[in-house]
Amino acid sequence: MAFPLQRGITPPEISFLAEMEMVTIVPRQRLEGLELLGGPVEPLVPPRRTTVPLWLASLLKRQRRANILPPPWLHPESLSLILDIETQHQDYQHAFSPPPPLPGQPRLRDRGRKPNARPRYTPEGQRYYPTPPFLPQNVAQDQSFDNGEPPTLPFHWLEVGTMLLDVASDDVVDPDQTRRLLKELREVRSAKIRSGVDVLDVAAVAGGGVALTGVGAMEIGEGRGFIGGVVDGLRRIGASKEQARREQLAAAANGEYDATQDYDDDMEF
Amino acid sequence: MEIDDILASVDHGDISSPESTALDHQLLTRFWVAERSVPELLPWPGRLMDRMMERVRQQIETIEDLAAASSEYTSTTTTGQGASTNTSTSTSTSTATLKLSILQTDLSRTQYLLRSLLRQRLSKLTKHSMHYLLLSTATPHAPAPPPSSASSFASESKQIQPEDSIPTPLNPPPPHCPLSASEIAFLHTHQTLLARHFGSSFLSSFPPQLRRLDDNAGGTSMLQGPDAKEAVFVRCLAEEVGIVAPPEPGDGIEEEVVGGTMRMGDVWVVRWEAVRGAWERGDVEIL
Repeated sequence: MAFPLQRGITPPEISFLAEMEMVTIVPRQRLEGLELLGGPVEPLVPPRRTTVPLWLASLLKRQRRANILPPPWLHPESLSLILDIETQHQDYQHAFSPPPPLPGQPRLRDRGRKPNARPRYTPEGQRYYPTPPFLPQNVAQDQSFDNGEPPTLPFHWLEVGTMLLDVASDDVVDPDQTRRLLKELREVRSAKIRSGVDVLDVAAVAGGGVALTGVGAMEIGEGRGFIGGVVDGLRRIGASKEQARREQLAAAANGEYDATQDYDDDMEF
Repeated sequence: MEIDDILASVDHGDISSPESTALDHQLLTRFWVAERSVPELLPWPGRLMDRMMERVRQQIETIEDLAAASSEYTSTTTTGQGASTNTSTSTSTSTATLKLSILQTDLSRTQYLLRSLLRQRLSKLTKHSMHYLLLSTATPHAPAPPPSSASSFASESKQIQPEDSIPTPLNPPPPHCPLSASEIAFLHTHQTLLARHFGSSFLSSFPPQLRRLDDNAGGTSMLQGPDAKEAVFVRCLAEEVGIVAPPEPGDGIEEEVVGGTMRMGDVWVVRWEAVRGAWERGDVEIL
């Protein structure tokens, strides 16, 4: 048995990934800059703010060598705003609240604009677009919400939130209220995942898929076994439907475009 | 693509720059997540792995040097020094210990990534060993090659042995082989041992024509490959990516058709085969 774990990263591995998120700290002692395998770490000079990976921040915090500045979304005010969006907003009755935009992706209010993401290139010459956990989604910002944009939950919200409450609860504003709001958000969102099972058979046909935009990493980790199993099971049952769907797609590709093409787009839940 | 090539060539060889360290770490992390989540073996990222292994080696040297220096330092300074110097020594040793523990944590995290990645690949290899072994020979998906390589062996025993059905990997491997050189060597040895074991434990009592491990009598191949239709979670990174339904020779549909469209930043549950091309282009990320 070379490897006993099932396909797809498991919740402990998702936490491991979330520990690579960058957070802001205020160091309480000096330390020279380090060349780590995960990238360089700037010198720590108190009381200058520095951005370090979460694993390093919690290591320093445990030894009382630094304080962590919680990200703007991890604040009772932001969390209750997001909770309002998740529960009250018309557009998100069956969908998750929108995630923070990727670099180059237009913000929610100018949705019509074209994205202008500029990729980096790997040494092999491949395009590379950075994504969480390598985006500054959890660093402290001076103005809490820029230009009236509503706060958003980052991809690793549950893991980062839980870890920060665990390690640095004295740095978080009103930890009890924050913890309660995180729990409520988690319940609201997992109810959405459960109610979305109905549309999963769209992902079971060729060329189909189900959108889960805004989902968190840990929520994928929890739902992976179930969703994957349902989709694969439905695919085996509906093998005969597959041929019809392919012919329909081929017809649509040949110019007979009709409205049925658009039905994939409404499948967010 | 030419500009990309020029850009790529500029970056070559400079593995010591901090930016390339950070980028390679991100690439390795993303590749690890993909390899863990996808049903089939992904192409071996040889150059990335070479750079990572070289960096790990250098980092271990750095840590060893630091550890040696700090232990030397404490052993020389603590012998017969005044109390005033002792306090400054203790702060500097605590900083040295902190630095060492940070470096070691970082090293362990990277080693964990590498180990988990390699073990996941081994597990995929051993699960569908004959399928991947055939990929490392000349023509993938070809019918079983005649047992010519073992002709001398067969003439001795006058019988077909199970290990005769094992193809010999090409050297050098074909260009689209997803395995690394050591993985090919491992797989070939593994499969030979397995075939010999099957032969000695039960296959030798079978009629000779039933001893092959890659039988495709009756039009059904006994070789099983990974199921590319299994569902994966992806995030769309390019402006728009179509969900592809690849051609399926068995169904009489020869052309590739595109179903739904993913937009930038979207997370979807789709079949792996529907986004494999986009993943190779770097337009989607596996979650």
